[in-house]
Amino acid sequence: MAIHAFAFHRAPCLRAAAIALLIGSVQACKGQPELLREGSTGGIPLPKDSTLARVALGDIAGSTRNTLLTSIKNPYEGNTGAIEAGGELFVRMNCVACHGYDARGGMGPDLTDTYWRYGGSPAEIYKSISEGRPQGMPAWGAMLTSDELWKLTAYVQSLGGSFPAALAEQGKQGNLGATLDTATGVLKGRQSEP
Amino acid sequence: MQPVDNPSIRIAFRSLISLVFAGAAVTACTTHEYPGRRANDAGDSSGVSAAATSSTSTPAGENVTGATAPTGPGWGIPADGDWTTQGRDYANTRYSPLAEIDTSNVSSLRIAWSFNDGVLHGHEGTPLVANNTMYLVTPFPDIAYALDLTKPGAPIKWTYRPNPSPIAIGKACCDVVNRGWQLADGKLIYNLLDGHTVAVDAATGKELWRTQVYDVTQGVTMTMAPVIVKDKVLVGNSGGEMGVLGSLTALDLKTGKIDWQATSTGPDSLVKIGPDFKPFYSWMQGKNLGETTWPAGAWKNGAGAVWGWITYDPDLNLIYAGTSNTGPWNAQQRPGLNLWTSGVFARDPDTGMAKWAFVFTPHNEWDYDGVNENILVNLPINGKQRKVMVQFNRNGFAYTIDRATGEVLMVSPFGHENWASGIDSVTKMPIVVPEKKTEVPGHWVRDICPADIGVKDEQPAAFSPRTGLFYVPVQNICMDYKGREVSYIAGTPYWGADMTRHVGPGGNYGEFIAWNASTGKKVWGIPEKFLVYSGVLVTGGDVAFYGTVDGWFRAVNARTGKILWSQKLGSGIIGAPMTFRGPDGHQYVSVLAGVGGAAMVTKAMPGFPARGGTLYTFALDSSIPAQGAQASQSSASSNGAPAKEKR
Repeated sequence: MAIHAFAFHRAPCLRAAAIALLIGSVQACKGQPELLREGSTGGIPLPKDSTLARVALGDIAGSTRNTLLTSIKNPYEGNTGAIEAGGELFVRMNCVACHGYDARGGMGPDLTDTYWRYGGSPAEIYKSISEGRPQGMPAWGAMLTSDELWKLTAYVQSLGGSFPAALAEQGKQGNLGATLDTATGVLKGRQSEP
Repeated sequence: MQPVDNPSIRIAFRSLISLVFAGAAVTACTTHEYPGRRANDAGDSSGVSAAATSSTSTPAGENVTGATAPTGPGWGIPADGDWTTQGRDYANTRYSPLAEIDTSNVSSLRIAWSFNDGVLHGHEGTPLVANNTMYLVTPFPDIAYALDLTKPGAPIKWTYRPNPSPIAIGKACCDVVNRGWQLADGKLIYNLLDGHTVAVDAATGKELWRTQVYDVTQGVTMTMAPVIVKDKVLVGNSGGEMGVLGSLTALDLKTGKIDWQATSTGPDSLVKIGPDFKPFYSWMQGKNLGETTWPAGAWKNGAGAVWGWITYDPDLNLIYAGTSNTGPWNAQQRPGLNLWTSGVFARDPDTGMAKWAFVFTPHNEWDYDGVNENILVNLPINGKQRKVMVQFNRNGFAYTIDRATGEVLMVSPFGHENWASGIDSVTKMPIVVPEKKTEVPGHWVRDICPADIGVKDEQPAAFSPRTGLFYVPVQNICMDYKGREVSYIAGTPYWGADMTRHVGPGGNYGEFIAWNASTGKKVWGIPEKFLVYSGVLVTGGDVAFYGTVDGWFRAVNARTGKILWSQKLGSGIIGAPMTFRGPDGHQYVSVLAGVGGAAMVTKAMPGFPARGGTLYTFALDSSIPAQGAQASQSSASSNGAPAKEKR
């Protein structure tokens, strides 16, 4: 069995506490190693954790417009090699067991439609994978690198249910359908069953 | 709270896994007509118009098998109008002696009242009735309701909201169900999906104790119905697809404190195997077989979850509890017999010590759990009266087993299976058809019958001491299966299979049958287009009740298999019906309609119903107060209408 190596570095306690405060979760700083977030294996610059931490959860935000949400893009979006690598991670990390081999859901939600409990823009998907979500989604940030998380995000984006960062606001407002119709010709969120 | 620590997270990068439940392909089965069915003259409008397929039927008033239900003060049989435990008695007959509703008048049943519990997940339990109160527990978030049967429309008497952890939602393989709740010692006792057991004051709804039994973050949930034996509450875990260590736990009825815990795999000390353990068959005899029939350490994630039904023989002082499928499904990762998964234990309820065990499907390659109910009856076999338990196993074989010794007295298929050519006459091990072995992963094995959910799943059968017959919900479903390598990552599924399912021969997913456990033969059967995934009720009026996944609730002549009455409910039926006598002296029949659970594997079928969560209560038309009756001078009339104001 191949052993997977993680890149860790010790983060200052203060920084971890500040992130915890910003994302609204209750986390004690116990000096755990924090993942290295900057720079991918292929030299592609990745968004910084400190920036991502300021992206609020899609379902509880809304009183103010969060421009970050629409400006953070997945550096691997549409990158064939990264999508393939993300697809392999989707299998290896047991994502398939909950979300399905076809990602159409099972124990966990469907990832191919436009209904996103915690937001369907790249930054929101990244955060959901990294931080985990309350109804059983594990926090993969504890065992995957930033680079791998963005590749997983690229794979999820390739499934067609997510939407580009630029449409994050429309997604929140429930106005996604028409926009996507032009972009992809598909109104997945509003399809009728046969 | 588990007896051993979970292994630390292991990640391997060559692993593969699969989707199993959702999205699985369901093929065929649209409007297939079954040959040889008699016309149904009882006004069944389902379009399925099923009727008995066998010419054999039982004469009125005769017990045709000689099988009887155990009786006596220790057997937990409630007052005839009540229903206080899921199986109604420790033998789990699901038989009620009430006979106001019988074969002559059941066609006039209609809805007396209904109750929507507001939860849209699979409703697998049975309502309970005692002290003119009905008790219900919803699927997650496991809300308990007490309904006042003395008042029109049975209004809510109290509500208890335990607020379990939502993490549990993502750790439950097959919907966030609750399989049942129990009344004992003035308490309503049940399990929460997040690994806790609670006891609530049945009179007030006040929480009396709440015990964490398992750790939900590791993928361990609880869905089964506790069973209360003497001063013990017996509970087990779920998570056969999550790499859990299966176990049965006894809590103190008064305090909720954990008394003993016995695992399904591992060394004898954990499994609670001692000098008194005497399995009948030699291949199950030896030291630490729960550890040595596995690759080193694999038993720790080998499942054997205890998520099914528990029965109890007070005369022998033994409880019977099955163990789940083996983990992971991919059998190549666990060479060996993988004891004691996919089997059943007889244990001393006071100490947890095992008396005997039997494994139905050793080295399980198909997800055939051993957790189905073991119904306890006394019946003649080869001219000799025996105390037996009867289990309709997932693997498609019905086992009649001597419940004192674990000797298999009778075994035969009760539905369509093709994975085993039979059961070895000496070892009672299945004789596996080589082409249906799934052990080598990475290639598709086609048309294995039954599929993972079995010829019968957890939905409980019933036994009538009047007819001597068992009434069994049967599934006719097959699968294409591809094993996949998988790694254990705590809190995520440990599954290792990719699969699609399809309907079996004849095109009917379901069947409702009557079974003779002395001869191992079907007496009659009613084919159903959709799965029969409901439990069964049989009564002193010789009426058997069951439901279908598309929502038909049916009453059948228990002797002939003739459908006497059908009512379409608001969602599919996967709970078990029950009957009680109301404060007005009349007999009522109740059932929950709320499709979900493993029945969702057929959700792609045209006509598959939407989710629901409604209790329906029926009575004879003549027993129900007339609708729109004149308001009386009291505050409420019998139909719940407010009294007319005087002006």
